[in-house]
Amino acid sequence: MSDVVKEDVVDAAVDEAHSGDIAGALADAHDDGHGEAHHSSLGLSNTKLAMWLFLGSECLLFGGLITTYMLYRNAHSADVGPDQLWDIPFTSASSFVLLMSSLTMVMAVSAANRKDDRNTKSWLIVTALLGSLFLAGQVYEFTTFYREGLGYTDSLFASSFYTLTGFHGVHVSVGIVMLLATMAMIAKNKISGDKAETVEMVGLYWHFVDVVWIIIFTLVYLIPA
Amino acid sequence: MSARTDVANHEGTRERAARATTSLKTVTTRTQGARLAKVGGVVVLTGLIAGCAKNAPQDTFQPRGTNAERINDLALPVFYIAGVVGVIVLGVIAWTVMRYRDRGQPIPVQTHGKPALEIALTILPALILIGVAIPTVGTVMALNDTDDTECVVNVTGQQWWWEFDYPVQDGCMPGGITEPIVTSGQMAIPVDTNVLIRGTSRDVIHSFWIPRLNGKRDMVPGRVHNLRMQANEPGLYAGQCAEFCGLSHANMRMEVAALTQDGFNRWAANQLEAYESPVEGTVAADGESAFVTNCSSCHQVNGLEAADGNPIISRPDVGVYPGAAPNLTNLMTRTDFAGASWSLLREECRKEVWEAEPDQFTDRYLEGVTDDCFNEVDLREWLRNAPAKKPMYADPTKLAETGGLYRGMPYLALSEDQIDLLLAYLLERK
Amino acid sequence: MAIIERPATESPASAETDDMVTATSSYGYLRRPVETTGWRSWAFTVDHKKIGIMYGVVAMFFFVVGGIEAGLIRLQLAGPEGTILSADKYNQMFTMHATTMVFLFVMPMAAAFANYFIPLQIGARDVAFPRLNALSLWLFVAGGLFLNSSWILGGGADGGWFMYAPNSDTPFSPSNGVDFWALGLQITGIASLVGAINLIVTVLNMRAPGMSLMKMPIFTWMAMITQFLLLFAMPVITVALFLLMFQRSFGATFFSVEEGADPLLWQHLFWIFGHPEVYIIVLPAFGIVSEVLPVFSKKPLFGYPFVVFSGAAIGFVGWGVWAHHMFASGLGPVSVAVFSVATMAIAVPTGVKIINWTLTMWGGKLQFTTAMLFAVGLIVQFTIGGLSGVTHAVAPSDTQQTDTYYIVAHFHYVIFGGGVLGLFSGIYYWWPKVFGKKLNESWGKWNFWLMIIGMNLTFGPMHIIGLQGQPRRMYVWTEARAGEGFFNLGMWNLVATIGTFVLGIGILLFFVNALVIHRSQPVAPLDPWDARSLEWLTTSPPKAHNFDRTPTVHALDEVFYRKYEDVGKGDEHDYVQRASLEDLMLEEERHADAHIHLPAPSYWPMVLAVSLPIMAYGVIYTSWLIALGGAIAIAAMFGWALEPADAEDSDFDPPAPGEQTSKELANV
Repeated sequence: MSDVVKEDVVDAAVDEAHSGDIAGALADAHDDGHGEAHHSSLGLSNTKLAMWLFLGSECLLFGGLITTYMLYRNAHSADVGPDQLWDIPFTSASSFVLLMSSLTMVMAVSAANRKDDRNTKSWLIVTALLGSLFLAGQVYEFTTFYREGLGYTDSLFASSFYTLTGFHGVHVSVGIVMLLATMAMIAKNKISGDKAETVEMVGLYWHFVDVVWIIIFTLVYLIPA
Repeated sequence: MSARTDVANHEGTRERAARATTSLKTVTTRTQGARLAKVGGVVVLTGLIAGCAKNAPQDTFQPRGTNAERINDLALPVFYIAGVVGVIVLGVIAWTVMRYRDRGQPIPVQTHGKPALEIALTILPALILIGVAIPTVGTVMALNDTDDTECVVNVTGQQWWWEFDYPVQDGCMPGGITEPIVTSGQMAIPVDTNVLIRGTSRDVIHSFWIPRLNGKRDMVPGRVHNLRMQANEPGLYAGQCAEFCGLSHANMRMEVAALTQDGFNRWAANQLEAYESPVEGTVAADGESAFVTNCSSCHQVNGLEAADGNPIISRPDVGVYPGAAPNLTNLMTRTDFAGASWSLLREECRKEVWEAEPDQFTDRYLEGVTDDCFNEVDLREWLRNAPAKKPMYADPTKLAETGGLYRGMPYLALSEDQIDLLLAYLLERK
Repeated sequence: MAIIERPATESPASAETDDMVTATSSYGYLRRPVETTGWRSWAFTVDHKKIGIMYGVVAMFFFVVGGIEAGLIRLQLAGPEGTILSADKYNQMFTMHATTMVFLFVMPMAAAFANYFIPLQIGARDVAFPRLNALSLWLFVAGGLFLNSSWILGGGADGGWFMYAPNSDTPFSPSNGVDFWALGLQITGIASLVGAINLIVTVLNMRAPGMSLMKMPIFTWMAMITQFLLLFAMPVITVALFLLMFQRSFGATFFSVEEGADPLLWQHLFWIFGHPEVYIIVLPAFGIVSEVLPVFSKKPLFGYPFVVFSGAAIGFVGWGVWAHHMFASGLGPVSVAVFSVATMAIAVPTGVKIINWTLTMWGGKLQFTTAMLFAVGLIVQFTIGGLSGVTHAVAPSDTQQTDTYYIVAHFHYVIFGGGVLGLFSGIYYWWPKVFGKKLNESWGKWNFWLMIIGMNLTFGPMHIIGLQGQPRRMYVWTEARAGEGFFNLGMWNLVATIGTFVLGIGILLFFVNALVIHRSQPVAPLDPWDARSLEWLTTSPPKAHNFDRTPTVHALDEVFYRKYEDVGKGDEHDYVQRASLEDLMLEEERHADAHIHLPAPSYWPMVLAVSLPIMAYGVIYTSWLIALGGAIAIAAMFGWALEPADAEDSDFDPPAPGEQTSKELANV
């Protein structure tokens, strides 16, 4: 290793020509608008990498909540449990709606990649609508369950079910806000960075929320306790 | 055999015990000296200390039962290994620091490492640890074996005392236990008997720990945890709740009284003896009615009857959060009270019990609290204002979170006269 | 914070208006803050260096708070039946001592170093998301103050820092202390999570050209592993804290046994977070001593790849040992055996580090500066802590030791010995980099020796106290169980208390050194220690933009190889200094990059951070505060989203006509 020293590092370093790609080193979530490419050691933009890391962290958040639910899913009274409450066809339909929103999200990203603002906006709206439809379904479901006697504090099953699905619902809501905000910012041309990438980021988040729902739907609704 | 007979028997015993204690001291000193010498070097160097005379009663290096011995046999070699490794590593560091301090030597070779050396120095500790891991696994398994149980005691923790109940069973003594026995603070067991503690809690997590008999085991509400317990020789073994359990965690102690089999039989028989009301006209008789008025709603005294002849059944669940209060039927067969935190014996008598030689201990212990030895001071203070002596949630204005239930014994506003009566009554509970 | 660029040849006008510059464009509701001096230049800064300093200052403040709590605890335990504190206050004191030291001192102090030095060590101009960085800081400050506000609002949390259920539930802990604790830790948890994402992206994506992962300075490596641990540990404690909050505030029953709940759920969630947390505490300190030892040994870190991989191994295996905190909890024997063996396994990579540090010094040219003393102190103290750790990795042995003072002794040797000493080493080592002057070395040595003597007097006797059977968390101990001979609890408890005050005086000397003596210290040279890594290839303190030109990296220990040349022949080595750091700096300045835009300051991180404690007070007291906090948060996020990270061109002074390469930034 000490051979390295022989390579006249000092001179090499000093003489090395430095010109353009400096902006990268001061990269931020948004480009500074000077059109220079970000310097990125991994070849993945900062924002995208950050989103992936965030989603990795989220996996453990939902992991903890799902574990809690699995531990307590049998802790309910005999007459207010999954058997009486679940309406699988209804929840399947709302799950399908959420799945479809992933598809429309893909369309939005693809439109954004084509720099097709009009279609990007439309697909974002559609995705947000489908997400809202899913949320409406969840609200309907919650109120039905509540009317059938499953209050938040009534049993461990109830608390852990509402906490898990509630957390997911909050994630969907945040996603909808992100979709609408992105849409509005595209409309007003307020996005200072790369538009396609911003849309893709929102898309990553949205797909994650969908995947989590598939897991929740399978574990909570489909697999019998 | 009744406790009263024990008292009569005892006068001679105590003198013998006193003589024996003197001779014991020399013996202990010598064996301890030898032990110290053996352990010496490593112990001093590592700062990890083993066995010495008069060590604290909860010393973890003085096992007196098979389970604790098993732990000790595993732990001591690990301490030795850790000590030796420590001495070597710290020695090398010290030598390096001395040897290579800057004395104007040239800049050393910029070496980045020697992989072969690195790998060797990685494998070495791994091998040592494998050597430690194998017996560890064996001991873990052995300590969880419950097949050899000869006696079962149910242990329940609550803020801030332990309850022991002996379910009806064939074990523990010849002929078995025929009626359940309930006691608290001090758990009596027969020596050389594999006792299985089946423990739980009525409120928060507590941890049952008698260092000289076994390691600790958390007692978790809603779960039953097993803990083996066996004592090689008669004696009083100190323990303490080891899991933080709230305000008076520090005042939640317990002891195991290991008795000879015969002594245990006597103890059990005494616990089940029928209740005798104090003789009419005595102070204690007035004390009984004071007890019924002030105490019996929480504290059970088996056999106590109301004026109409119906048994008085305490309802601690109405008053205190865990729904239990110590059973006082045989309070004076124990040597301390209130989570084993205060002695019922005056200091010299307390010492006698704690320092009794193994072969004397059982008899001394079964004497219980005699009139001569009764430590009135602490019990009086306790009755005067319990929460002032031991921090408890006993402020009646601050019980919203527990639905008006106390955690611990509240202030009862007893007059000194009432306390006198109660003390006289309680002194007969043996 | 410099956002204003201007040509080297200053026009008089721009110099005069220096203090009154305003941004021309407004985003959302507010104009961007542009002050380069005064408190605003700190409060709204996004400069990783200023943020790092503020992290350090606030962490040190909480260090003092936690230290006072420790002092009171030891005073109470100095003799039997102590009366300084009531049982209630004592329980609050040890809960808050641990919480403060872990979450409000060691973690943010490590974050201070990570913030300040990661960008400098990898040749970057800032972190990846400067505004998120400011958010992390202010969330930490907000969470810490919120947590400690419980002292004046009915008392601190009293369930122990591990806050086992069901003792943390309202019937058992009726004051609001636990609510403050749960919510406060949620807030600092968000800070840690945001910081973790930010720093990982920074390290992975913003390294200077030529700096491959295996040429990265070791501190950056260890700090990055720490951030990964935080990334995955924080959501787990977040779940636990949410469950606790729902239980206490909204009537859920996650830990109510009478409803069929299992209290061990909390323990698992807590320790799945809690054990990686131990490595979160020590790994940054390991990184620091791995920087300090080579510099003062004049040798590269021995076995750099081994140190890196052992760090990664610790980070990885650290996830599989959490249940060793639960050997007495009543897990089955199989779980206990498995976790026992896994715990022993983690001793191997830890041992590798000690071996490598020793071999780094072996054959070196050791200079015992204060920083070096602290580093060697860490090796010694951590070795002791590690070895006592092995004794209770043996599960049956641990059932005698867990929840006794033996464990208290062990983890203080690990966390104080292996963590805090490393942080102090870093403070002495990097002080001249951050402030341009060295800390006084003779005060430093007194500081070091008193701390070492104090810590051994404090925590050493706790081994004895614990093995003699004194449990932790007892507000009093009693003469009746103290024993008599040489190992009696009375004497050693008193020694531990005396040690605490020796330790306290040692730390006091640091504050005197840093706050008083430091003023009259001479300006330090650019390269006071003959250092080896990239952060020294700039001025001290560094300019706002860190490097005049982005360095290109050719080797680990880049700066050493720029200074020295090996003129030896064949196997002979002879290192000759070819350049001083001053020479190198002149060269850097000559080739300074043109057109450096730094991210611009912003109000929004602080506004967003303030909204969270408002919401948290709302959860405890009244729901309209939740709505108010929520409204502030939404407004802040809206403003944040509309505000570009970098100032618009219009916010900058116009460049001089015909301006080429020679630009400098406005005064910081």
